[in-house]
Amino acid sequence: MSTAHNIEPVVKEPQMYGLLAEFHDVQTLLDAAVALRKAGYKKWDCYTPFPVHGMDKAMGIRPSILPWIALAGALGGIFTILALAPLCNAFLYPMIFSGKPYWGMPGHIPMAFALGILGGTVFVVHGLFVLARLPQFYHPLFTAERFRRVTDDGMFIAIEATDPSYSPSATSQLLTKLGAAAVEEIRD
Amino acid sequence: MASVTTTQVPGMTGDFDNTLDDGVSKAPLVLGEATFREVTRKICRVAEAPRAPLAWYVAFAISTALVGVLGAMITYAVFTGVGVWGNNSPVFWGFPIINFVFWVGLAHAGTFISAILLLFRQKWRTGINRFAEATTVFAVVCAGLFPGIHVGRPWFAYWMAPIPNVMGAWPNFYSPLLWDAIAVFTYTNVSLLFWYVGMIPDLATFRDRSKTRLRHTVYGILAMGWRGSAKHWQLYERTILILAGLATALVLGVSSTVSTDFAVSQLPGWHETIFPPYFTVGAIFSGFALVLALAIPARELFGLKDLITKRHLDNLAKITLVMGSIVTYIYMMEFFIAYYSGNGYEQFAYLTRIMGPYWRMGWLILFCNCLVPQIFWFKFARTTWWLALPAALLCLVGMWSERFVIIITVLNRDFLPSAWHNYAPTWVDWLTFAGSIGLFFTLFLLFCRFLPMIAMSEVKAILPQAEGHVHDDSTAGAAGH
Repeated sequence: MSTAHNIEPVVKEPQMYGLLAEFHDVQTLLDAAVALRKAGYKKWDCYTPFPVHGMDKAMGIRPSILPWIALAGALGGIFTILALAPLCNAFLYPMIFSGKPYWGMPGHIPMAFALGILGGTVFVVHGLFVLARLPQFYHPLFTAERFRRVTDDGMFIAIEATDPSYSPSATSQLLTKLGAAAVEEIRD
Repeated sequence: MASVTTTQVPGMTGDFDNTLDDGVSKAPLVLGEATFREVTRKICRVAEAPRAPLAWYVAFAISTALVGVLGAMITYAVFTGVGVWGNNSPVFWGFPIINFVFWVGLAHAGTFISAILLLFRQKWRTGINRFAEATTVFAVVCAGLFPGIHVGRPWFAYWMAPIPNVMGAWPNFYSPLLWDAIAVFTYTNVSLLFWYVGMIPDLATFRDRSKTRLRHTVYGILAMGWRGSAKHWQLYERTILILAGLATALVLGVSSTVSTDFAVSQLPGWHETIFPPYFTVGAIFSGFALVLALAIPARELFGLKDLITKRHLDNLAKITLVMGSIVTYIYMMEFFIAYYSGNGYEQFAYLTRIMGPYWRMGWLILFCNCLVPQIFWFKFARTTWWLALPAALLCLVGMWSERFVIIITVLNRDFLPSAWHNYAPTWVDWLTFAGSIGLFFTLFLLFCRFLPMIAMSEVKAILPQAEGHVHDDSTAGAAGH
């Protein structure tokens, strides 16, 4: 195929994403995570097929704000129904049901209970997706063949090239020293 | 905890008896070759096999045929009118409400296992929680169907929602029926979200193992790009914990709210303060019987005996026994309170249950719900499929009969004896009920074939080699800055 104008073909230079190191057991991975944190690395993450107990502490991940998001959702659900019920039955179309007051809170508690749970659930699930930045269908790590085992039995540490402490050779050597079974470069 | 170790001896396979505790080491919950890779392989094998077992096809054919029957019965009822059912004055509730309460109850075990057992750190739940949660979602679907068609004119069902309309009509927020609708709406959404969020890491496993482009795309979209990041796992585990806390309140709340449909009315036999715990315990009882009845064939059929072990069946049967015993206690209390109240109408309502026109059902309940679960006192019965499976099915029969008797025997004896009228379901009622069972099994069989039936990431996390210790002499707070 030839074009009328002389256009240079656009070839995207593959950029260095970072290093992917594979580990074979949980203890080595945890020790490596502690060592990397102490070495001052910032932009790195561990990848495992299951949640590893103690990894937050090893990596220094701070507690998330998810519980507050859930609380906000639960309170939102509760107050929505406590406002909606009197709005309908006491203001928009006032009507006496079984001689009860237009606006009586006790009869609205069962609904407030249910909607509090619903609000908390919907907020916390969406909070998870927002905080984890999911869905994210492409990630540079998905280009690595060995990374497909992360959902099976593979345990990995990836350090990004944009990390201030990153150096292609020194970081690679450090990972090997920490017990990595294999270290490979990932290009985006 | 450090002194307690898990014995993991190679060579122990699915038929190994891991129900005993020696007090020193924990019994293994995963038998056979308990490596991460092997756990993945065993569970994925079910969905990746080119053909399902023959029994799956037979069951699926029967179930989908019943779904066809369900569709035909609903169409018939909607086009002809609800007169095709047995509901008539004074028994206006009939089968639709019986089946609704029954199906909502069956949903409860899944939520109980994934919420309450998670908070109690019961590690054995990992083998069964996923498909128990699936039974929750599908049972709620079947439950929601019945009030939907019971309104008779389903195209006006939106009148139940607080939507501004030209009639200026708003729902009555004091009505237990509206509380019920809101509780079931909440239950549907929460159980669906809980189930899906729990499945994301396993869907990623399916994505990464997929051989065809179609599977890769479908599971890839469902898995949302999950990559097992530690930062994600931290958020994920916290989400599951919060969801468990919320669902714990829900599992105790939904059937309680359903019971207010009855308890807030002023009929002898319904107007009781014991109803919320009564309905909830009955719901959990029937739910566990259902999970037990499904776990037994599933572990045989899909070769999952190493993951759903005898210990799982043992524990399920024990919870069924506990719940059955609480149900028995509540029956005794109901009869005692009727006697002790000195209220003739209350006493009459209870004597009608065991001596009235439906006395056979009344005694069937006492047999199925009080006597049958008592065989689970014996370990042989808990771990032997040809005893446990019929017992679990009888518990389900008992709980359906209980819903029948609670609803029918109260309504058919109206306030004036001249208005008394017995209820008899029609063939349309029976076929609609059978159709709902078909709908449940169609969904369940599809789930077994195409979705991760056991929570792989959770099973891997309870293997001994998934544990490590953080050797950190500095404070964690120093990180990051």
